[in-house]
Amino acid sequence: MSLVRFSGAVSLLVFLVLPAMAAAQAMIADTSGRKQPLTTWGIQFEELEYRYSDDDEELGVWNADAFYGTDDFKVRLLSAGEYEIDEQAYETLEHQLVGQIPVSRFFDAKAGVRFDTPEGPDRTYAVFGVTGLSPQWFEIDASLYVSKEGDTSAALEAEYELLFTNHWILTATLDATVAFSEDEEIGIGKGLASTETGLRLSYDLIDRAVSPYFGVVHERKYGDTADLAETAAGSTEDWFAVIGARIAF
Amino acid sequence: MNASNLIVAGLAFSMSVSAFAAGTHGGGHGHGASIGEPGKASEASRTITVEMHDNYYEPEEIRVKPGETVRFVVQNKGNLVHEFNIGTPGMHEAHQKEMRMMVEHGVIQGNKLNHDMMNMDMGNGHSMKHDDPNSVLLEPGQSREVVWTFANQGNIEFACNVPGHYQSGMYGDVNFE
Amino acid sequence: MNIRLGAVVLCLLMPSLALAGEYDLTVDRVEIDTGDFVKQGIGYNGKSPGPVLRFKEGETVRINVTNNLDEMTSIHWHGLILPYQQDGVPGISFPGIKPGETFTYEFPIQQAGTYWFHSHSGFQEPDGAYGALVIEPEGREPFRYDREYVVQLTDKHPHSGDRIMRNLKMMPDYYNRKQQTVGEFFSDSSEQGFWNTVRDRLAWGDMRMMKADVEDLQGFTGLINGKGPEQNWTGLFEPGERIRMRFINSSAMTYFDVRIPGLDMTVVQADGNNVQPVTVDEFRIGVAETYDVIVRPRDEQAYTIFAESMGRSGYARATLAPEAGMEAAVPPLREPARLTMADMGNMHGMDHGNMDMGSSDDMAGMDHSSMAGMDHSGMSGMDHGSMMMDNQAQQDPFYARGSGLVPTAANGGKFLSYADLRAQNPLYEEREPTREIELRLTGNMERYSWSINGVKYEDADPIRLKYGERVRFKFVNETMMTHPMHLHGMWSILDVGAGQWNPIKHTINVNPGTTVYMETEVDEPGQWAFHCHLSYHAAAGMFRKVIVEGGPDSQQAKTEVMAEDGGEA
Repeated sequence: MSLVRFSGAVSLLVFLVLPAMAAAQAMIADTSGRKQPLTTWGIQFEELEYRYSDDDEELGVWNADAFYGTDDFKVRLLSAGEYEIDEQAYETLEHQLVGQIPVSRFFDAKAGVRFDTPEGPDRTYAVFGVTGLSPQWFEIDASLYVSKEGDTSAALEAEYELLFTNHWILTATLDATVAFSEDEEIGIGKGLASTETGLRLSYDLIDRAVSPYFGVVHERKYGDTADLAETAAGSTEDWFAVIGARIAF
Repeated sequence: MNASNLIVAGLAFSMSVSAFAAGTHGGGHGHGASIGEPGKASEASRTITVEMHDNYYEPEEIRVKPGETVRFVVQNKGNLVHEFNIGTPGMHEAHQKEMRMMVEHGVIQGNKLNHDMMNMDMGNGHSMKHDDPNSVLLEPGQSREVVWTFANQGNIEFACNVPGHYQSGMYGDVNFE
Repeated sequence: MNIRLGAVVLCLLMPSLALAGEYDLTVDRVEIDTGDFVKQGIGYNGKSPGPVLRFKEGETVRINVTNNLDEMTSIHWHGLILPYQQDGVPGISFPGIKPGETFTYEFPIQQAGTYWFHSHSGFQEPDGAYGALVIEPEGREPFRYDREYVVQLTDKHPHSGDRIMRNLKMMPDYYNRKQQTVGEFFSDSSEQGFWNTVRDRLAWGDMRMMKADVEDLQGFTGLINGKGPEQNWTGLFEPGERIRMRFINSSAMTYFDVRIPGLDMTVVQADGNNVQPVTVDEFRIGVAETYDVIVRPRDEQAYTIFAESMGRSGYARATLAPEAGMEAAVPPLREPARLTMADMGNMHGMDHGNMDMGSSDDMAGMDHSSMAGMDHSGMSGMDHGSMMMDNQAQQDPFYARGSGLVPTAANGGKFLSYADLRAQNPLYEEREPTREIELRLTGNMERYSWSINGVKYEDADPIRLKYGERVRFKFVNETMMTHPMHLHGMWSILDVGAGQWNPIKHTINVNPGTTVYMETEVDEPGQWAFHCHLSYHAAAGMFRKVIVEGGPDSQQAKTEVMAEDGGEA
């Protein structure tokens, strides 16, 4: 090959292949945040209220929920309590730490632990359940609890919202607990243990962040649980007027 | 005059005569005194070549003397069907409605004319033939003449009334010296 | 000798001076006052929107961007054809611009028209980082006008972009205040009957979908050129002038229906490309789209430029007037839009109960062979009364038949449809596509996660294209939301059934329950972003990277074999 042709070939190589190679090298991989799963968090007080019962009982009640995670895995911390103002004691104080993953388009499965530390004996439970949105817009939360002692119970929570206007919302709640074994120490009898139903009318004052409400709550104990309550000189059925606010951010 | 000139003149004459003789498409255009009348090629004082592009004319202004007869050679150098129409703004607005109908009926299809459609009987003896003497409707690449004797004065524009073209600025002013 | 040398040097420099424009932009924290609220945001050169950049076709521009924020930033030139490293997408074009850094973009301008630029980092764009880009053509444009205005729309919200994303993930209807209420149940009952209304509510409840799910983000203040309705941006004119209005929708999430009561508008450009002029009374501009229209106000009065959001939850408003201070009446918002079962057309596995939906064939799909230039030769003696000139009855083929989103002009006149757009000067010769790639637009509203083919960006492989091919993209919208799909760096030739006259766009809106086709000549090497331009959908996963393999010079020694037709998505 003549020198001219040789240098021609070399320059062809230099001018064509090298830039192409350089260009190929320059195509970067995406290490930006966009390639990471979207992480979100939130804190909500679904209930933060003052309850006044037909027996002149006054309670401070809350039901709070904080979560952190991605579409594929979330960690949730739940806290619920009923504080008896006169007696300065917690009738109910529950904390749950669960991990949650999606199992279907509208439902998640969850598993974790629950710590009950009210006035009276403490309890620790393992939690398993599903939570999500059922057809016709019911928010469902179904959980199975297994205590350290082996007592099992299940709870079903359902919530439905009716929009009077885009700001006035009527929320109906149902919370039912079924115990599969008796736990006399904390006053739980076998079978349907208790229900709590509520009807709250809220007004979205600040976005969905602050929504004050008032309403009515009905608590009732059944069967053996009711018997145990009567023995302990407690009530088996209560009606409450409630006033409070839903806080979310 | 040599033979070819005679032929051209004869052609131009017969074209303008046949255009004048053919019916209008209904509705009355109000031609006539306000803007002038069809002229005879032999009386034309000059020839102006008007190029139609997408979507504008070259030139965009012509100056005429009151009563002058001008022969326009209109060439469509664009990719779309265009019109060269001499009239007042009011006439153009009315004609735009008719042109819109022609588009809706499929007579004007972007860069083509549907000649069968044009000749169809719309009822009442009307058709959508675009054959007024003051205007030509051309497909890309076509060329045709309009010979016009202008009135002594008036607010006259030449314009393309294919829907949207006038609004985009496909018009030119006729200014009297 | 020295003089001659100097003259030679000067002559050598001249061309570069004439052809180069140099521009400086700073990215800053700014205060945004909408008239309804004041909020900290991000802007360019100290304000939001940023300055209108004016380039010239044929010049090479240098834009020095200085990042005065304490976080990474970027600028993407929306709709521009340029080398991929200049496209401004962190992670795809370049690493991004660090705080304090000055990055210089440099690229040749190969087009003309109206475009825009915005940050492609985080939620900086909804927070205010956007501006307009006007490119003067080399030759003359196919239209004339006496003056021009940029009319840039956005949906500025009192919440920051990060907060909005978090709220939407927590509660997808967080911002939806147009939901169906008890009151609507009663009014629907009186109109359609009690049991029909019950059945309707049950059918939608079964799907866990809301027909009120038209706009994810409500509660914004519509801005035009940075001014809210109260602040009333005003463009002056002299009666009789033709005004070119460069409408740009720089919103995060909102489609606007634009009209100027009293004036009709002649659309001459869409997405920066000239279209055969079409005169309309109203048009819908999707997120990231642009439309250039010419109006000719003849009277000495003010006209309101009214941009009503598609779901009717908000609006933007400005004025065209002969004198500053004049105002015209602002129309009230129309009734909130409601989806219909037709908009659910492409959803699989949906039990629609006993709703009669008809076959999926007669919904959505457009038979384009019969669309352009209807053949009337079979008709004789037409009865004009029954001619289908009634534009209202004639369905817009880009909406599902029976869709609740089909727009109608407020004055009963003509509403622009994609079907009306024809390229004025086609950029490419028509040819058969080399292959088709199907992209199903998917999502889960309850979880507020959005995806393409069921896969979010974080889990997706890039779409690989070969330089020189012509790809036909098939968008199948399996959601009930509109999605403006934007491919960076290469033109999207929208199939409206007009063959070589198909319009050339950069952002293609795909309506719920419809299938839309567009073709791309793969003529730009490198890697490009391809995503839904609704800010919170793109961030939730409706995003892809496109890799163009090969280029004009490289030898096709690479034997990358595409495994199957349709490619990876």
